[in-house]
Amino acid sequence: MPEHLTIQERDDIALASVMARKSMSAAKIGTALGMSLLDRPAACGSGAVTFIGTGPGTWLAFHDGTAPDFAADLTHRLAGLASVSDQSSGYVVLRLAGEGARKLLQRGAAIDFHSASFSSGSVATTVIAHIGVVIRQVDDGPTYDLATFRSFAGSLREWIDHAAAALAF
Amino acid sequence: MRIPCPYCGERDSQEFVYRGDASPRRPEGEDGFYDYVYLRDNVIGEMAEHWYHAQGCRNWITVLRHTRTHRIAAATLSRETPA
Amino acid sequence: MTRFSIFNLATHALKGHRDWRPTWRDSAPAEGYDIVIVGGGGHGLATAYYLAKVHGIRRVAVVERGWIGGGNAGRNTTIIRSNYGLPGNEPFYEFSMKLWEGLEQDLNYNVMVSQRGILNLYHSDAQRDAFARRGNAMLLHGAGAELLDRDAVRKMAPFLNFDSARFPIMGGLLHRRGGTARHDAVVWGYARGASDFGVDIIQNCEVKGFLRDASGAVTGVETTRGAIRANKVGLSVAGHSSAVAAMAGLRLPIESHVLQAFVTEGLKPVIPGVITFGAGHFYISQSDKGGLVFGGDIDGYNTYAQRGNMPVVEDVCEGGMAIMPMIGRARLLRSWGGVVDMSMDGSPIIDRTPVEGLYLNGGWCYGGFKATPAAGRCFAHLLATGAPHDTAAAYRFDRFERGHLIDEKGAGAQPNLH
Ligand SMILES: Cc1cc2nc3c(=O)[nH]c(=O)nc-3n(C[C@H](O)[C@H](O)[C@H](O)COP(=O)(O)OP(=O)(O)OC[C@H]3O[C@@H](n4cnc5c(N)ncnc54)[C@H](O)[C@@H]3O)c2cc1C
Ligand SMILES: [Zn+2]
Repeated sequence: MPEHLTIQERDDIALASVMARKSMSAAKIGTALGMSLLDRPAACGSGAVTFIGTGPGTWLAFHDGTAPDFAADLTHRLAGLASVSDQSSGYVVLRLAGEGARKLLQRGAAIDFHSASFSSGSVATTVIAHIGVVIRQVDDGPTYDLATFRSFAGSLREWIDHAAAALAF
Repeated sequence: MRIPCPYCGERDSQEFVYRGDASPRRPEGEDGFYDYVYLRDNVIGEMAEHWYHAQGCRNWITVLRHTRTHRIAAATLSRETPA
Repeated sequence: MTRFSIFNLATHALKGHRDWRPTWRDSAPAEGYDIVIVGGGGHGLATAYYLAKVHGIRRVAVVERGWIGGGNAGRNTTIIRSNYGLPGNEPFYEFSMKLWEGLEQDLNYNVMVSQRGILNLYHSDAQRDAFARRGNAMLLHGAGAELLDRDAVRKMAPFLNFDSARFPIMGGLLHRRGGTARHDAVVWGYARGASDFGVDIIQNCEVKGFLRDASGAVTGVETTRGAIRANKVGLSVAGHSSAVAAMAGLRLPIESHVLQAFVTEGLKPVIPGVITFGAGHFYISQSDKGGLVFGGDIDGYNTYAQRGNMPVVEDVCEGGMAIMPMIGRARLLRSWGGVVDMSMDGSPIIDRTPVEGLYLNGGWCYGGFKATPAAGRCFAHLLATGAPHDTAAAYRFDRFERGHLIDEKGAGAQPNLH
């Protein structure tokens, strides 16, 4: 059976980083957002909004579909609880899908991507080819979103193309 | 060597920046500064040390590691670790 | 002991090399000595040799916890050079280079000194200026130096990657008298010379503590083979400097780190001398057997394990691929590590310690092999006369406290600049 890999840049999203103020818990922030928020490397969300844990008390928030006011809206709702910065143009998000996506990531990151330990909702902030990436498994297809700083995205894409060629997809 | 980050889980040491012995305390005045900057216990055995998870959660971690076997007995977020 | 000569070699050859004798004595500890040297690496053995030969002090023992040359002396990449820039350093390394140049005659032993040249590559105007300045310092001290442009480097080493986007090669600083020596032979040559003068070489003898008198002065060592008295004790234990000094209650401005090295399968002669790519943490030479011997930076965390980790293996190999892409075709045979005593300014200490009777030769970081002859000479001078040798006068124990650092590279262990 041929293994599939599709790679797509997601430009239909808005991004923001959210960092809890001193002694503000994930629970309090979650309440203000009307969702249950986890303080660990995992994805959680409601509707179009997904929060991805990138560190203790810090998240990268995704909004599916362009939303120019996403960060401003979060800033407003989290006033006094967390600091928010717009990251929509700070990161590039690549969506990798298909069984080949897992193999590709296994070649690049020192993370166990076996479905027993990394599955839908799992998140890892790590490094591929010396480039920092935030990896989130979106579904068990498997589909992954890779977020990387925009200025590194070209280099990451180069690595992906090389590695994918070696795997002969 | 893999470092068990309390937040991210076990990660390759490549993701971290090493700072060294966690025990020296910055002195208030000039006295003790030479000790603080230059002198080290440099133990053969278990040592509490600072690692920064630069390519992960970007937190400082205090790791209790054996300097000969590299066995790691504990790892905690430095900000939650009593000085 | 037999003197090696053409005649003596020919005689042994005719007899089928059957009756060679061990070239040095493996001794049991005596009750006491004038001086005990702790550590049977190149430095410890050279110290004992010069104590006997230059200062006439022959009641000397070298105590080694394993076998002689089993530490960094047997693990290094054997590069010898006199291409330092600072006043505290260059006279010392030039002294060492001169000793290397006469060492085989002096020891009557082939230590395979091979002055095939060292080339430091530069990649920017600023780096060229810094190299020119260092070259001038070398010229002033008689070491010799030539600043090569890109074409001259291309003539020497056409296989280098001259047009890398990040580190294009603009030229190099060539130190023709630099090169390599055979690490084991250096250890054995000094052991033979010292043994000849009556020095006891005591292996499998680990120092566990110090004998002290009522005033606190050191009067000998406690070892796994019993107590050994001594008027003076000299430490020459490289990566274990802190651990042994701690037995006398001392804390040192030193951290122990691991440095790795690598060797490929044997190839036909290809590398003309030693080539260093400092900007990319990579240096390489070719052994007489043909293996490409190369290395890079320390792993960067405190350790006493004589083995390194993968990130630095990757880093060194990437450095190699960047500057010399053809190395990707060679197969790696072995890699290993040695525990190095990283001092806080990257320079060594040859001095008395605050403890009476205890002397220290340490903090050699990853560069003490080239220093072996001069470190031995200067440490012997200090132990015998109580005063530092002229060329090692800057290597003081208290220089950190006084602010007289010798920051040749601007980076020691802790300042975290590696
Ligand atoms: C991979 C690598 C590459 C290197 N490359 C170079 C190079 O190219 N050029 C260069 O100039 N330098 C180089 N160096 C550095 C150089 O090898 C060292 O600085 C130098 O060898 C140290 O001196 P030594 O030979 O006396 O040390 P060692 O050979 O390490 O001798 C110290 C001895 O002390 C013994 N000892 C320790 N504790 C005790 C105890 N308690 N009791 C008794 N004995 C004890 C040890 O067993 C050891 O044999 C390199 C080092 C490494 C690890
Ligand atoms: Zn982490």
